[in-house]
Amino acid sequence: MRLLRSHRNEASLATLALVVLALGLFEVLQPGGRDVASLTGDVVTFNTLVRIGILTIVVVGLNVLMGYAGQVSLGQAAFYGLGAYVSGIFTTRAEVFGLPGGLEGAWWWPWLLMGVGMAFTGLFAYLVGRPILRLKGHYLAMATLGLGIMVYILFRENFGFRTSTVNLTGGFDGLFDIPRLRLGSWELWPITRYYFLVWLAALASIAVALNLVHSRVGRALRAIHGSEVAAEAMAVDTAEFKVRALVFSAMLASLAGSLYAHFQAAVSPGPFSFIGSLELVVMAAVGGLRNVWGAPLGVALILAIEEFLRAKGHELFAGIGSEAEPVVFGIILVLIMIFLPEGLTDGLRRLPRLWQRRSGTPAASSEVTS
Amino acid sequence: MKRTRLFWLVALLAVLALALSACAQGQQGAQPAPAQEEQPAEQAAEQPAQEAAEPPAAEEAAPAQEPGATVYKIGVVVAITGPGSGLGVPERNTAAMIAAQLEEQGGVTGPDGVVHPVEVIILDSESNPDTAAAAASRLINEEQVDVLVAGTLSGNSLAMVPLATEAGVPMISMASAQSIIVDPDTGETREWIFKTPQTNEHSARWQAEYLQNLGITQVCHLYENSGYGQDTLNQATQVFGEFGIEIVYSDTFERKDTEFPQVVSVQGAGCEAVVVGAIPPGASMVTAAIKDAMPDMLVIHGHGVCNKQFIDLAPDAVEGTVLPCGKLLVAEQLPEEDPQKPVLLQYIQDYTAFTDGEPVSTFGGHAWDAMMWSVEALASLEEGMDLAARRAAVRDYIENSIQDWPGISGIFTITPEDHLGLDYKALVMTRIQDGWYTYYGPELWE
Amino acid sequence: MSVDAEVQQFLRKRRPAHQARGQQIAWAGVTLALLAAILYLGSQKNFGPLQYAQLVLDGLRGGTIYALIALGFVTVFNVTGIINFAQGGFVMLGAMLAVTINDWGALAQWSPGPRLAAAVLAAVLATTLIGVLVERLTIYPARNAEPLTLIIITVGVYIVMQGVALIVWGTDAYSLPAFTTLAMRDRTFRLGTVIVKAQSFWIWGVTGVTMAVLYYFFEHTMWGRALRACSVNRLAARLMGIRPDRMSMLAFGLAAAMGAIGGIVLAPATRPVYDMGLSLGLKGFVAAIMGGLVNPPAAVVGGILLGIIENVGAGVTRAGIKDIFSFIILIWVLLFRPQGLFGRQQTVEKV
Repeated sequence: MRLLRSHRNEASLATLALVVLALGLFEVLQPGGRDVASLTGDVVTFNTLVRIGILTIVVVGLNVLMGYAGQVSLGQAAFYGLGAYVSGIFTTRAEVFGLPGGLEGAWWWPWLLMGVGMAFTGLFAYLVGRPILRLKGHYLAMATLGLGIMVYILFRENFGFRTSTVNLTGGFDGLFDIPRLRLGSWELWPITRYYFLVWLAALASIAVALNLVHSRVGRALRAIHGSEVAAEAMAVDTAEFKVRALVFSAMLASLAGSLYAHFQAAVSPGPFSFIGSLELVVMAAVGGLRNVWGAPLGVALILAIEEFLRAKGHELFAGIGSEAEPVVFGIILVLIMIFLPEGLTDGLRRLPRLWQRRSGTPAASSEVTS
Repeated sequence: MKRTRLFWLVALLAVLALALSACAQGQQGAQPAPAQEEQPAEQAAEQPAQEAAEPPAAEEAAPAQEPGATVYKIGVVVAITGPGSGLGVPERNTAAMIAAQLEEQGGVTGPDGVVHPVEVIILDSESNPDTAAAAASRLINEEQVDVLVAGTLSGNSLAMVPLATEAGVPMISMASAQSIIVDPDTGETREWIFKTPQTNEHSARWQAEYLQNLGITQVCHLYENSGYGQDTLNQATQVFGEFGIEIVYSDTFERKDTEFPQVVSVQGAGCEAVVVGAIPPGASMVTAAIKDAMPDMLVIHGHGVCNKQFIDLAPDAVEGTVLPCGKLLVAEQLPEEDPQKPVLLQYIQDYTAFTDGEPVSTFGGHAWDAMMWSVEALASLEEGMDLAARRAAVRDYIENSIQDWPGISGIFTITPEDHLGLDYKALVMTRIQDGWYTYYGPELWE
Repeated sequence: MSVDAEVQQFLRKRRPAHQARGQQIAWAGVTLALLAAILYLGSQKNFGPLQYAQLVLDGLRGGTIYALIALGFVTVFNVTGIINFAQGGFVMLGAMLAVTINDWGALAQWSPGPRLAAAVLAAVLATTLIGVLVERLTIYPARNAEPLTLIIITVGVYIVMQGVALIVWGTDAYSLPAFTTLAMRDRTFRLGTVIVKAQSFWIWGVTGVTMAVLYYFFEHTMWGRALRACSVNRLAARLMGIRPDRMSMLAFGLAAAMGAIGGIVLAPATRPVYDMGLSLGLKGFVAAIMGGLVNPPAAVVGGILLGIIENVGAGVTRAGIKDIFSFIILIWVLLFRPQGLFGRQQTVEKV
C-alpha cells in the first residue's frame, strides 16, 4: 500500500511532517530555554503555528475546489463557521435542544460533534451546491459571496430568534467557555498538545487532497476546469464532480471550524464574515491554486506577514502603529498578485527558469496555463 | 513588455531593500539587548531560578533604575481599527500617556524601594475577537506580561477571558457586558477577570428612574447591531420590567445605516419615548432620523454616547437628549467635595496635553482606571518574585486593595464577589444643552 | 476570454413559448405572494399607506446611491471584465476628500456655497485621478492575469485605500453640510407624516444629471464610443486602432468619478467614516448583478429596486436581517435571471 501516488509528494509530506514534529518538540523541550517564537525573533509564535494548521485545512479544501475544479467560492467562511458553531452550540447549549446536560461533560461528545458538523456541513454544501454550481465564473463567485454573507447574518442574528427567548449563537458576542478536547481524562491542552492534533488533521487533509487530485476524480476535475463542455463530451458527469469538490471542501472547512472552536474556546461571528471568506481566498491564491502545497504555504505567508506587522509594526512606523498594518498588508498582497499571479508554489517552481531567462532565452519564459 | 516587467521587478526589489533596511534599523535600535542580556543571567545566581526564563530587558535604561530590577510589563489590547475604534483609540491614547508618564518617572517603586521600569505593550484587536485572542496569547506567552488591560468590546473581551484564566493572568476589561466578569451559566465571578466601565444595567436603572418620574410606561428601544447594543436591550428589558415600564417595540440598526425604516415602525408602535443603545456615529444618526419624523419625541441614550463626536455629528437633533454618563464630561460642574473631581480634572488636563487637544471621552477613562489599578498593583510587589507569583499577587492586590478608590468611572470597591465594584450612582444623569453635556440629577427633574 | 463570450456563456437556452407563459404566471404568483406577505407583516405593525410611502421614499434614496455605485461596476466590467472591489473605496474617498477640502483652513474666507461647490469638484477630480492611478499601478501590470487574480488585486487596493483613510482621517465620522441649507441641519418637506429631506432631491437630481452626461458621453463622443466598442469586442476594437489599455484606464477613471459623486451626495445624509466603502460597494454590486452586469440603465433600475425592497423588507420585519433581503435577491437573480432582471434571454451558447 502506498500512501500517495507520487514519490515527490510523499517526500514533501514527510518533510512537512518532520518540520511540524521538530517544531513541536522544540516547543515542548525548550532547549536552552528558547521556544519556537524566539527562533523568529518573537514574530511567528507557537500560537500562530496552530492557527496556520487550522487554516491550512480550510485552504486545502478551497484549493481543490478553486484550483482543480475551477469553481470560485467567496463564501467558504460560512462552512468554516458552520463547523465552529455546531461544536460551539452543542458543547455549551445542548440543553436548548432537549439533550441531556450530562453530554456536555462527556469526553467523546465534542469528537462526535466534529463528525456531525462535517456531515451536516457536507449535506448543506450538497443542497446549495446542486443549483449554485450551475453558475460559472463571476456569477458563481457572487452567488457564493451572497450565500456566505447570509449564513454570517444568521449567526450574528441568532438565526432570527431573540437572544432573550432562544439563545443559540449568542448573537454578536458569540459563544464562550467552549470546553477543551479530551481523550478520556487526558486533556488535549496546553497548546503544545493541541498543536499536534491540529497538524495531524492538517497533514491528513493534505494527504487526502493529494490522493484525490491524482485520482480519477482529480483528472475529471481538471478536465472540468479546462473546458466543461469538452469534459461533458468525454462523458464526465460534470455537475456531480463539481458538487463533490464543494462537499469535500465544505467538510474540511467544517473540521477546521470545530478545531478552531475548541482552540479559541470562544466563537463569534466576526471571522466568518465576507472579509473572512476573502482572506481564505487570498491565502489560497497567494499560495498558488494549481498545487495542493500552495495551501500551507499561502496560509503561512499571510499569517507570518500579519504577525510580523503586529510584532514589529510599531517599531517600523513610529507614531501610527497598527494603523499602518492594513496598508502594508494590502501593498504586499497586490505586489504578490502582480508578480506571482499563479501564487508562491508556481513562483518557486519557476525560480530556476527565471535565471535562465536572464541569460537571454525567452522561450521558456511563461508556461501555458489552461 | 519585457522592459516593463524588468521595471516592476526593480521597483519591487527597491521596496524590499527599503523594508529590509528598516528592519535592520529596528534591530540596531534594540542593539543594547545583548549587553543587558547578561544581567538577568548574573541575577539568576542569587535570585530564584525562574528569573533566568525572563526575557532580556531590552528597554532603554531609565535614569534612576537599579541594575537588574525586573522589568514589569503591562499588555494592552484595544480596538484601534474596526467598528470599535471610536472607543479604542482614546483607550490607546490613555495607555500611551500613562506609559510616557511611567517612563518619565523611571517606572514604579516597590515597597522595598527597588525601582522597576514598566513596559506597556499595546496591540490592536482590529475589533475582531479572533485577532484579540491572538494578541492576548502573544502578550501572555511571548511578551510574558504581568497583567492584561484588554478588551474594548464585549465580544473581544470574552474571547480573551479563557486565555487569561488558563494562564493565570489578571485581566482588566474596558467593555461593558456583565458576562465578562460573571459566568452567566453558573453565576460565579471569574477569578482572574476584572472590569472598569459601568454596566448597561446601571444605565438602564437611571433611564428607568427618569422615565418613571415622567410617568412614561411604554417605550421603544432601538439599538445598534453589536454586542454593546444587544446588551443594552437585555438589561433594559430586565430593569424596565422592575419599574413597570414596557418595551413595546425594539429593533436593531447598523452603524453605517443611511436609512432608518425602524423610525416608521416606532411611529406605528405608539410609544412615549425612544431609548437608544448605541455609540456614535449610529447613535447620532438614529436620533436625527427620529427627530425628523417626530420632533417632539423624547429620546434617551445610554452611556455609550458620552463623547464629543455624538454631539458634533447631529448638534441640532441631540439637543435636549437626556442620558446617564460617567462624571468625566461634567467634571467642572461637580461639587467640590466629590472625591472624584480632582482625579477627573487632572485626567482631562493630562489627556488634552498629551494628545494636543483631543477631547476626552469616558472610554479613555475606563483605560485610565484599568492602567492605574495595574500600576498600583505592580508597585506593591517585592523584588524577586517569579512571573506566576507576580501575576497572582497583582490579582490579589486588585481584588483586596482597590477600596473606595476614586477613579474616572466611579469610586471603586472591589470584593471577591464583585469584580467591578461600582453601583449605578457611578453614573450621573446629564442633559445636552447648548451643545454640551450638563449635569441633570434627580433634584433637577420636574 | 473576451467579455461577450463570457457573458453569453452564462446565458441559458431559450425556453419554448408555452414554458415562457408558465413562467410569467409563476412570476405574477410570486410577486403577489410577496406583496401579501409584506402587507400582512405591515398590518402587524399598524402600517398604513403613509408608512409605506415613507419606507419606499427612503428606499428610493438609498437605492439611487446603489445605482450610482452599480454604474461604476458596470463600466469597469464592460471594458475590462474585472469585478472591481475597490469601487466602494472610491465612494469613501469622494466623501472624505469633499469633507476635508470643505473644512480646509485656506478656504475659510470663502462663502459656504462656492466653498462647497469647489470642494465637491476638487474631490471628484482627485478621486478620478486616484482611479486612473490605481489602474496604472495595479491593473495594468497584471492585465494578462486571470480574473480571480485581478479581483484579488482590487481587494488589495481596497484594503490599502481604507488603510490610508484610517491613517489620514482616523476613525471619527465626519459631516458635510447639506447642499440646500449649507448647514448641518437639512430642510425637510412634510406631507402628513411622510418626510423627504431636501438632500434626497439633490441625490436624485445629481444621479439623473450624471446618467444624462454618461449617456451623451457613450453615444456622442469619440472616447465614449471607443469605450463601447471595447466592451462589445475587445479584439475588433483593437484592430480599429483603439488601445484597450487606455480604455481600461478611462473606465477606472469614470468608475472612480461616479463612486465619488455617490459618496459626496450621500455624505450630508449620513456621516462618512473611513470604512463606509465595503458595505456600500457590496450593495452597488448586487444592484449591478440585478441589472445583468453589462447594462447601465438596467443597473440603475436594479439599484433603485434593491433600495426599495431592502427598506420595505426591513421595515415590515426586523432591520437586523436587512442584508439578507439583498442577498436572497442576488442569488435568486443569479439562478433564474442571470441575464439580469430586464435582460432578454439569448439563444447563443458558445462552446
